[in-house]
Amino acid sequence: MTEKEAYFVRFNLGQRIEHITVMVLFTLLVLTGLPQKYSGSSWAQWIILTLGGIDITRLIHRIVGVLFAASTAYHLVHVTYLVLARKVRPTMLFNLKDVRDAIVTLRYCLGTTREYPQHDRYDYRQKFEYWGILFGGGVMIATGAVLMFPILITRLLPGELVAAAKEAHTWEALLAVLTIVVWHLYGAHLAPDRFPADTSIFTGKISRERALKEHPLEYGVVASAPHKPEPKPEPAAEPPR
Amino acid sequence: MKDDIAQRRWLRSLALKLGLSTVAALGLAIGLMAALALLPENARGASESQQVQSDEPCLACHGTQDLSMKLPGGDNLRVSVDAAAFAGSVHGGRLACSDCHRSYSTVPHAPVRVQTRRDYSVAQYEVCKSCHFANYTKTLDSIHYEQLSGGNPIAPLCTDCHGAHNVTTPDKPRAQISQTCSACHSSVYKAYTSSVHGKALVGEANGDVPVCTDCHGSHNIHDPRTVSFRLETPALCARCHSNSNLMKKYGISDQVTKTYLQDYHGVSISLYQKQEGGAQPSRITATCTDCHGIHDITSTDAPNSPVMKANLLKTCQQCHPDATENFPEAWLSHYQPSIDKSPLVYVVKLSYSIIIPFVIGGLSLHILLDIWRALRGK
Repeated sequence: MTEKEAYFVRFNLGQRIEHITVMVLFTLLVLTGLPQKYSGSSWAQWIILTLGGIDITRLIHRIVGVLFAASTAYHLVHVTYLVLARKVRPTMLFNLKDVRDAIVTLRYCLGTTREYPQHDRYDYRQKFEYWGILFGGGVMIATGAVLMFPILITRLLPGELVAAAKEAHTWEALLAVLTIVVWHLYGAHLAPDRFPADTSIFTGKISRERALKEHPLEYGVVASAPHKPEPKPEPAAEPPR
Repeated sequence: MKDDIAQRRWLRSLALKLGLSTVAALGLAIGLMAALALLPENARGASESQQVQSDEPCLACHGTQDLSMKLPGGDNLRVSVDAAAFAGSVHGGRLACSDCHRSYSTVPHAPVRVQTRRDYSVAQYEVCKSCHFANYTKTLDSIHYEQLSGGNPIAPLCTDCHGAHNVTTPDKPRAQISQTCSACHSSVYKAYTSSVHGKALVGEANGDVPVCTDCHGSHNIHDPRTVSFRLETPALCARCHSNSNLMKKYGISDQVTKTYLQDYHGVSISLYQKQEGGAQPSRITATCTDCHGIHDITSTDAPNSPVMKANLLKTCQQCHPDATENFPEAWLSHYQPSIDKSPLVYVVKLSYSIIIPFVIGGLSLHILLDIWRALRGK
């Protein structure tokens, strides 16, 4: 096996399953939700009628919404446990270095500096997307719950909240869809060094070369410190081959 | 001698020719007359005066007042006609008695084969068809005809709404239309005359408000209790309530249909309409009349209006029985969100209209920079 073919295991099976779950649920939510937002357009009506009408479309949307909420809850509980039990480093948290990295990256792109930031397990772009989905998902779950139980909600809270929840739900959804289409499509598929796709979230593997180039602070540590004491960085637990 | 025979032969052939010609001419004349008699009424304009004149023999008997006959069922059928009323009707001077009352050419007339007066009217149902074919055909689609063909003898016939000998233009004056319907639908008419529409029609002779036929149609009146009628209701009300000029005249919003269709109920109903035929809606969703009332619809300012703030919860509870005090505010009352009417919704909308372009614009810019970097081979 040549040096080039060597890889790190970047994502464990659980993480890969979580990604596929969110990917499927998100797609289903967009497919059943966006036509409701644009129900006046013919493409939207075609989707709704193909699914069997608005009642069935809403039912599917709600069931998938509940599953999405459940997967989000699982993720939060699981990650919180892993971090608190010191089984993983909290590598997703933003820090000051991310702000610096963003500025340096932009300057690098503009050509005003030759320095390129050294990223840890996740670079600031990946963190932005993670927190965007988590925060946006939170908004969607909260407002979706209000829309699902308007009578229960208005027992305690003002009715205008339901109307506001509907407004927020549709616009937050649009923001999420546009972010995925623009940012994720570029970052994971269309970017010159990714095209046609960054497969590491499906295979779990990242080539040694790419790992050391893009996440030297994570894999550099692992590679140069095979005797590193526990706790091991969880997702890269396997040594490079 | 020879000449004699020849002359006789010639005379015989002449007589034969003359006889045959006479027969042919007579046949042609009879045929023409028969054809004329079968032609539709309007095609016979030229012979109008003769036709009307031909009423005179009928009026010799039927012009007598209080002429009536006993039917086998026991009813007294009045067979005298008010010649003056007929002359004043839309048909006066245009139609002859025999145009409608056929098969009475012999005197005494053939016996009437009906049991009751109503049977006689029902038997005459097809008479109007020969001239008013389009409207007759429309009635075949109506709830009234459905009732009639189902054996309900009191379902209205042409003459029940239009009159028989005294047919006048049905909408002169306009209020006449609703009064016509009130002959049978008296409780609906009573509710209607107390409504904002009915009051304006009866009290102010208002030409803008709907009369019965504006919503229900005239000849092809459909059952208003069907799902399809329900689904068409917003479009029905929108005919006037989305007409900016008309609504401005009365200081009413012309946004009601738009705001309805934007919200949950309206989205449901528009899509139910599209899936109709394939699948009936699995549930009922509120349409205009469910909140505003139907025939008894009032101004939204009226104290007894079901959409008055004080009455709104009860109105919502018709479909949402568990709804409580705050629930009705979830519906923005046909208003577009604004800082005065629903500040929270307005602020949310405004925030996203800033956040979305900012975020997506920023991300796009970052991507463009990265592409530029890649193009420079860095």
